[in-house]
Amino acid sequence: MLINAVIIILREVLEASLILGVLLALSQHNQISKSWSLKALLLGGLAAVMYAANLAMISALHEGVGQEIVNAVLYVFIFTLILAIVYCLRDKQYLKLAAAAMFGCVVLAVLREGSEIIVYIHGFSTIPDLFTPVLVGSSIGAGIGLSIGVFVYYLIVSLPFIYGVISGFFVLVFIAGGMVSQAIQMLLQADLISSELPIWDTSQLVSEQSIVGQILFAMMGYEATPILLQVVLYTASILLTGFFAIGSIKRTQQGNLL
Amino acid sequence: MKKNSFSYTYLLGFLLVVLTGSAFATPVFNIEIRNHLFYPAELTIPVDTKVKLLINNTDTSAEEFESYELNREKVIPGKSTGVVFIGPLKKGVYPFFGEFFPKTAQGSIHVD
Repeated sequence: MLINAVIIILREVLEASLILGVLLALSQHNQISKSWSLKALLLGGLAAVMYAANLAMISALHEGVGQEIVNAVLYVFIFTLILAIVYCLRDKQYLKLAAAAMFGCVVLAVLREGSEIIVYIHGFSTIPDLFTPVLVGSSIGAGIGLSIGVFVYYLIVSLPFIYGVISGFFVLVFIAGGMVSQAIQMLLQADLISSELPIWDTSQLVSEQSIVGQILFAMMGYEATPILLQVVLYTASILLTGFFAIGSIKRTQQGNLL
Repeated sequence: MKKNSFSYTYLLGFLLVVLTGSAFATPVFNIEIRNHLFYPAELTIPVDTKVKLLINNTDTSAEEFESYELNREKVIPGKSTGVVFIGPLKKGVYPFFGEFFPKTAQGSIHVD
């Protein structure tokens, strides 16, 4: 039970932790006050508790697919906010907007991942024998996940300004693609997009269950058996975010920013 | 005016056919979660058909219905029923499991 708890919580924490680490590093490089982060964690945590407490009711909405709809909307919002962040970091006058988008992005990421953690741990509160091992395992998983975020933060911060920004954007571009891919996955599960056969199957090459598969999923939304629409929108979202990122990097290099 | 009411009737009839048609076209299968086990643990569904799974979690603890092969992942709170659409699928066996209690909660969808 303990190992299982470590893996489940690590998976949930990793995604939010990666986003937080990268955004804090980009704030540092652009001399944006990092005060947004604490507020975002608190508000996101509070929202996660509320979401978790009402999950059964939300799930029952829209003929039983309310959970999928809410999650899909959250993913699309996170994608849009990442897009806004990448765009706004091109010019000093937009830095306040960038900070606001970072705040929103972390609130939603914490809400999304945090609610699943709460539902998971809360379920064991009625099983006394398992509750302690689950709490211990969850703490270890959260610790590893947060450490990876801290590591990414220091890695990007240690780089010279322009390389720090480029690598931060690089991570964000793929996270953005992953968000769009996951949103589609949710709409498929809810039957709001009609399902079709996957266009390829790379599960023999990299299984989604493997450690590499899990890491690739957290970093870029890896999906072994995607459908055509998913591949098209994933590519489009990466190209769009990448286009904004290149524009911002060029503007930054021209000396518009500090 | 007469022509209008005719087209409305026609439209209503058409909608009725579409709605009932789509309701009938999606077969429903029930799975129960009891003491962190799936009942039935093996479920056979028709090939190339979209189906609706109604997963009734009778335990007090939450469970996450998960399958890498089916590309599905859904948290089902304790004492509630979750809806998951799967398919259309090719012939084969698609394992699923309960992520929160993976040692016991194991099952598979057989597409035949």
